[in-house]
Amino acid sequence: MTVDTLRDYLRTLDGEDDLVRLDDPISWNLEASAVTMLANERDGAVPLFEDVDGARLVGDPYRGTQRRPWDRIALGIDLPRDVPREEFYEETISRLQRPHEPVTVSPADAPCKEVRYTGADVDLLEFPWPYIHAGDGGRYSNLHTLVVPDRDSEWIDWSYHRAMIHDDETASVLLLAGEQAPNLYYYEYEREDEPMPVAIAVGVEPAVQYTSVMWIPTGRSEAAFAGGLKGAPIELVACETNDLLVPATAELVIEGEVLPNVRRDEGPFGDYFGYMHGPRRSMPTLRVTGITHREDPIIPFCVEGTGVGYTENSTSSMEVGCVGPDATLGLQAGGFEIEQCVPWQSTPRSVYVISTANTDPGYLHELANFIFTTWGMLHVDFFVFVDADIDPFDQREVLEALVLHADPDSDFHQFGVETMPKVPLNIYQTPSEKGNVQTGTSKAKTAKAYIDATRGDDALDDDPDDDLHEWARSVLVDAGADPDTIPFADSTGGGRSR
Amino acid sequence: MTTFRGHLRSLEDDGDLLTVSERVHWDGEATAVATEALEGDCGALRFASTAGGVDLASGVYAGRAQITSRHHRPWRRIERSLGCENEEYGRLLETLSRRETRDLDDTPFEEPAATVDSGADLYSLGLPTVEPDGRQLLTLGLIAVERDGVTSWAPVRGTIRRRSRLRLSIPRPFVEWCSDERSASVSLGVGAAPHIAALQGWTLDRTTTAVPELATAIDDVAIAAVDGRTVPANAEVRIDGSMTSVDDEVAGPVEIWERGCETTGVTVEVDAIAMRDSPVVPFVPLGAPLTDDLHLTALVEAAALYRRINGYWGVSPVSWIRLPVEGWLGLCLVSSEILYSGFEWQLANALFSFSSFFDKVLILDDYNEPTDLARALDDMWVKAHPSNDWTFSDADAPAASAPLYRRDGETGSRLYINATWDPRWDEEYIAPRVTFDSTYPEGIRERALDHWDRLESGGESND
Repeated sequence: MTVDTLRDYLRTLDGEDDLVRLDDPISWNLEASAVTMLANERDGAVPLFEDVDGARLVGDPYRGTQRRPWDRIALGIDLPRDVPREEFYEETISRLQRPHEPVTVSPADAPCKEVRYTGADVDLLEFPWPYIHAGDGGRYSNLHTLVVPDRDSEWIDWSYHRAMIHDDETASVLLLAGEQAPNLYYYEYEREDEPMPVAIAVGVEPAVQYTSVMWIPTGRSEAAFAGGLKGAPIELVACETNDLLVPATAELVIEGEVLPNVRRDEGPFGDYFGYMHGPRRSMPTLRVTGITHREDPIIPFCVEGTGVGYTENSTSSMEVGCVGPDATLGLQAGGFEIEQCVPWQSTPRSVYVISTANTDPGYLHELANFIFTTWGMLHVDFFVFVDADIDPFDQREVLEALVLHADPDSDFHQFGVETMPKVPLNIYQTPSEKGNVQTGTSKAKTAKAYIDATRGDDALDDDPDDDLHEWARSVLVDAGADPDTIPFADSTGGGRSR
Repeated sequence: MTTFRGHLRSLEDDGDLLTVSERVHWDGEATAVATEALEGDCGALRFASTAGGVDLASGVYAGRAQITSRHHRPWRRIERSLGCENEEYGRLLETLSRRETRDLDDTPFEEPAATVDSGADLYSLGLPTVEPDGRQLLTLGLIAVERDGVTSWAPVRGTIRRRSRLRLSIPRPFVEWCSDERSASVSLGVGAAPHIAALQGWTLDRTTTAVPELATAIDDVAIAAVDGRTVPANAEVRIDGSMTSVDDEVAGPVEIWERGCETTGVTVEVDAIAMRDSPVVPFVPLGAPLTDDLHLTALVEAAALYRRINGYWGVSPVSWIRLPVEGWLGLCLVSSEILYSGFEWQLANALFSFSSFFDKVLILDDYNEPTDLARALDDMWVKAHPSNDWTFSDADAPAASAPLYRRDGETGSRLYINATWDPRWDEEYIAPRVTFDSTYPEGIRERALDHWDRLESGGESND
């Protein structure tokens, strides 16, 4: 069955006995987030909070399990939850290569139009935006799709930028220069002193959410890629107060404009690095012009900061399950001979591992150079290159390669000390790099690095006897070993004789 | 007192021992299965049906890769063998770093549990082979030699050369202490304490002959006398003979402790083989990740470093030190208070000076937990400034012994990564961690736990 809506997806989880419903009244003020953090830390089922001031929240619905970060991602695009990782990657890439153009539906056929508010009736605070961490600068919408049009073309960008709610009609949006949507704002609209029309689609169908976090090339239709992931066209509907088209099955749509030269505080926030990041910074201001939503909407959120170490959350799982295949496709499409590009699972966004058969002199430098000049690299500080026979999903294997093969003398390559763009969220920034603690937007640069953990001239491992090792695995399974305990490996089953 | 046999029973009772009932040949097959078990984070293995005269076991002192789960404590099976399970890692380090000894006069001698089997020869044991050599391999072995009324034990690795000849790799200081041809006993199938003591005695910066005394202080190891030598009483197999130094290296894949000390080769001409009933011999699939020798050596080296570092500056700033087995001891993690600016440089370089295994050190703030390897590595990526905190030395340092590059004697660089907060920073620049305890007030935590407890029947554990 095609998953058309967030509700379909949650029903699918429910059918897998993987959704827990909390019927008790739950407060949006840290309480829903605290329960979700417990669920995340314990690899528990996804919590759906049925009564949050009369509305509904769902905590980290796309979080995967610790050993299989992609498993719930797979459910959202009609893949079996136990899909082997290789197959998941291949299928995701294959679908991205077969985009489906979206279709436009009338408001009458768009669930997100069941309730509509415009003008003076708009009230952002009617909804239970969660206060996620004590110390956050405010309440957030942080698992949504930001829809932004290019000022000078037909291109529409979908992206994933959090918004801090300020009052009934304004929010500040985290727009970090260097990424697509922020670039449109800072270098097109604001330069012309024009407001940037936007929509924030909350509770979108999974394929749309996944596409929003991917590095879709500039100028390409993200809706079409989402359709490819889904295997069917995405239905779009026109906004009430601007010309944008938004996913019709969204739970809730915030329409508005990001005002030129108007800033509001944003943050601090417990960020994806696993730390509370400050100081407050000034970010562009969204003025809300309309809100439409389904009856009894479900608002998803992510407890950022939990998706590090041994814990998953929606962001970290989508990084592995969505950005990984997308980046692999992008690098292969760029002509590079890579096997896979996989985020370091416990540190989403900061580190990627790339397996490649081509370790010729200069090649890795070219590859790193290509990556570090793309817009998607803003958050990424390190790439680790490993041989093609290393599984980049297996962090033990990667760590082993890094320790045994990456020579401090020759295999650590910094790209320009203090010459490369830096995401101002990084916690490692020095006080001078953080800038004024009151305003806090970093103007600093940093270094990026790649690490050559390929064997090179190091001693080669013996060629494995695949038959022998496959037989050995079957012996273990027959002896009672649980295939699912094997990290990042797919269940192999047993019973093969030798 | 935990014997090897008792340790196996304990692992089995805990569901941490898989019994392989399918017939597995010692020639290549046992090593393949053991390798897969280690890579697959399985339990320890016992092979119940092999072609040899002894049953085999593997992974008995190894542990699951911690990088996959916060609930994996790689040192857990060693703790179990020492009878001190569930100790804090730091407490274990402190215990081992003290290197206490116990007077053997206070230790009752027993009869050896193994009795001489006149029909046995070395080949009949059926010890596992590892390519490319293809010889039966002796791993996790312990040699006992007596000199001038003092017996010491040392770790050995080697191969069977003839029905009655062993070629063994032994720490050179031990062979020098023996000083001449000596009668010797090689014990297989002993608990963790004798292994740890032997490593402490002969592979570290400070050698000592008092290895049985160290072992009996770590755990109440039973000892016996054989031809005037003190030996572990409960060894599964004991090989008696005469040892001669041949002063060259023993070929083949090595155990990790051999990378950390100077070794030399000896020959043992075997006079007798003693075995317990239904003997079980543990072995190491050399070349595989996460092996027993890695775990034992990692713990011993970490304890030694912990002792030296915390006694170095007049204060004890270091909370814990780990050489993660996932990194083959080529990486050292140290969690420490940063006493003053520049201390991190001193700390890293002291560690480099005290150990030959690694050329990469990751320095962590002292709130890091030794049981949280994934988060420690996260700090390496997100907390160490890529421009300022990855510090490479000039290329004048000797190559570390664990990594596989620069095996030709060339010098090169070392790297330390400082993932600690700069002590010069004001508090407002220090980002607090996002954790359940730090993120939510007590009342919220209590309510969340209450909600979750009522829901958890529908959840699964993160193990």
